[in-house]
Amino acid sequence: MRRIARDLAERALEAAPPGDGALAHVESERSLMLRFARSQPTQSTSVTDARVELAVVCDGHVGRASTNAQDEEALAACGRRAAEAAEAAARAGGPGPYPGLPTTSSPAAHDGHDPETARLDPARGGAALEAAVSAAADRGVEAHGTWTVGEVEHAVASSAGVLAAERVTDAFMKVVCIAPQGRSGYASGATVAVGDLDPPRLAARAAELAAAPGEPAVLEAGEHPVVFEPAAVGELLELLGRCAFNGLLHAEGQGALAGRLGTLVAAPAINLSDSPRYGSTLPRSFDAEGMPKGPLALIQDGVAHAVVHDTASGALAGGRSTGHASAPGGDPVGPVPSNMVMVGGGAADAAELALPIERGLYVTRLWYGNVVRADEALVTAVTRDGTFLIEDGQITRPATDMRLTDGALGILASVQALGSRPELVSDGELYGRRYARGSVCPPLRCGSVRFTGPAG
Amino acid sequence: MRTRRERVAVRDGAVEALDRGEDEGVGVRVRVGGAWGFAATRESTSAGAEAALQRALEVARSQPASAGAELAPEPPARGEHAGPCLENPFAVSLEDKLALLGAADEALRAQPGLAVARAELSALEVHTEFASTEGGLYSQRLTECGAGLVATAVGEDGAQVRSWPASHAGSVAQAGFEHVRSLDLAGTAPRVAEEVVALLTAPDCPAGPQTLILAGEQLGLQLHESVGHAVELDRVLGREASYAGTSFVATDEIGSLRYGSPLMNVTADATSPGGLGSFRWDDEGVEGQALPIVREGVLRGFLSSRETASEIGLARSGGCMRADGFARQPLVRMTNVNLEPGDAGTLEDLIADTPNGVLLDTNRSWSIDSRRLQFQFGAEAAWEIRDGRLGRLLRNPSYAGLTPRFWGSLDALCSASEWQLASVVNCGKGEPGQLARVSHGSAPARFRGVEMGVA
Repeated sequence: MRRIARDLAERALEAAPPGDGALAHVESERSLMLRFARSQPTQSTSVTDARVELAVVCDGHVGRASTNAQDEEALAACGRRAAEAAEAAARAGGPGPYPGLPTTSSPAAHDGHDPETARLDPARGGAALEAAVSAAADRGVEAHGTWTVGEVEHAVASSAGVLAAERVTDAFMKVVCIAPQGRSGYASGATVAVGDLDPPRLAARAAELAAAPGEPAVLEAGEHPVVFEPAAVGELLELLGRCAFNGLLHAEGQGALAGRLGTLVAAPAINLSDSPRYGSTLPRSFDAEGMPKGPLALIQDGVAHAVVHDTASGALAGGRSTGHASAPGGDPVGPVPSNMVMVGGGAADAAELALPIERGLYVTRLWYGNVVRADEALVTAVTRDGTFLIEDGQITRPATDMRLTDGALGILASVQALGSRPELVSDGELYGRRYARGSVCPPLRCGSVRFTGPAG
Repeated sequence: MRTRRERVAVRDGAVEALDRGEDEGVGVRVRVGGAWGFAATRESTSAGAEAALQRALEVARSQPASAGAELAPEPPARGEHAGPCLENPFAVSLEDKLALLGAADEALRAQPGLAVARAELSALEVHTEFASTEGGLYSQRLTECGAGLVATAVGEDGAQVRSWPASHAGSVAQAGFEHVRSLDLAGTAPRVAEEVVALLTAPDCPAGPQTLILAGEQLGLQLHESVGHAVELDRVLGREASYAGTSFVATDEIGSLRYGSPLMNVTADATSPGGLGSFRWDDEGVEGQALPIVREGVLRGFLSSRETASEIGLARSGGCMRADGFARQPLVRMTNVNLEPGDAGTLEDLIADTPNGVLLDTNRSWSIDSRRLQFQFGAEAAWEIRDGRLGRLLRNPSYAGLTPRFWGSLDALCSASEWQLASVVNCGKGEPGQLARVSHGSAPARFRGVEMGVA
């Protein structure tokens, strides 16, 4: 497969008019996803596809075209469309801002491919579903969720001499258990190797949260101390990626770190990086422009250090790409980190983190997070699938879900302690192309988080 | 299924994006016992389709046994259909498109103090060939087109943004390039630019319960999140609990659930001219319909598929199964979920009838809980209403509420002359993720006692 995508990228590049530079980006996907609800299978999707994206540069403008056809005629037509676009842009606007395609690429290797996962074995998925349903039934709850595996190959070939290819696999399972009285619990696992997923353990954890006894307590609106589990921390980091570490927003003065790089923006215990080859992440070698990916410190000891760039946003900021292009020539919504890693602390687990809290919340996950105002890092989300009250240092009983509306950097500034075992959290897959990504983060305790009231 | 798309964007006098994409492939959906299997391949050949069929069967058979409901009966969909398109957007030259956007961008940048000016347009064509073992065989071609402006200003107190005609890709309709030409981007740009700079020094929208007037995109998104998603029958039945969520609505509440005030009449209409949720047949081969969802404030129906309709005893699917391209299986999705107009006259009439309140314009942020009950929205701008007149421009408006209580506070609805469609092009649902495109028709509406200033 690896050779096929690289060959396709080279063939596509040959078919493209040269312009002032041309680049072919290939993403080839084989994937399988099984879904289940109310302890029954509901949907299954098997995908085999490959997309060629051709970018042609003309006088500082990038024209892009894509196709999933692979014959010579289709590739040539795709190249012509890209070139026509770039030439039209040049005629319309004079010299453009794009500084040119990256000229160097020596991406480091990684071990992000697992042959067993790449088999995409539906029987293995079926067995995972059965195991989850069985474990949920043992606790008297229903199981809902997703099991998915995928193999993706990326390849980039450019007239600037870049030729890179990588092959990755990902496996993800989540289980949401719902008890007869309506309480729910969540657990998930994300990994390179499907053999590392443990469906019964995930289902048992989700069932434990759902089956917790007691009437849900209602916490009043206001500011409360919180213990966030890694899934909730990951959602906050994703939102920060969009509004704070996005190099395009930052260069436009709209980002939350505009004018704040080099200053204290989080608690001194916060160390956050984008580390594409960190041990438990979903590794990546290079971006959609063929730029090698490497570790990049985002926040060190609470001080903001960097935002991420593709070539276009880097040029706008007077700098260079950090290897975060999601499309050749840059994505209009701007680049975001792909492999955030937050360093853990000394607490053994969430229970230990809760010990100093007199009255607060334990939050398993956050959902429907959205940026309210990027420049303030003001975000909103609702708690879901495992919200509990903390009383006198103990996680005691279920609590109603709450709406969080607060500054994400302010939340990080109020971090008092972190757990010692960061874990990879992921949503499995976002919309469009399969590009499995996630953040490695620990549970943590915040001194003060603003909730505007009950939700759900 | 074959898809063509194009997006052109100009930013600060330079071309920001010029993307042109095409993809094509075959998706095969099978049912074995009660289990579904779906396999997609880019190989649009007999051999490719046969391989996809075998894979779909293999996947379906590998899953645990499932009872599954019968499918609601449906006559085979047969024929051809092409949506409205007077001027093929893919035949319009790039030069014309760039000139149109360039003029709008230039008009924005004439305003001093702007940080970023953007103008964009997009076009999409989806050609579906559908065949089923029940005898269905249809060909359907739908074309969409749209455009919009975004102006950003940055001041000492932060960044402000104004979009027109709407945020999130502007105004998109099922139409040809004539829709883009009908939008006066360059002519409206000066007002948009002036407003965003004015927002930098405008007072914050006050907090607390207030009378709120919503219109256009924001009212459409309110419908989308708190009505459209809540009545998707797969969610109501718990099938989306692990991702999109469930619903506060129950299957046995048709005819009894008080969803809103007696002024509230909502129709899910796959026949609305120009709507992104309009089609002749859905991706399950069911003919598009206009279904009552809420009548005089009471729940009357759901958005459904053949399977979900059968599960609750409905005679027929609502025809709401839509797929985002060949590599995604159809899901229960919205058609155009429209709020029928009332009799309160024009927006000016409604404002004149409002002693004190706030008019909100253009969505900026959105979030709602997994049961579609508690929501929070932010808008780009607001105007205070004093003594029946528009007053000061206000910045950072936001509001929150509970779905039935909010719709219960609807006390005035403008007349049919004010009714128009607003587009939503980024509706996410499903795993693997799918983006649906839909429109929502509404006339400006007034709500009492809405909690403002929550963010």
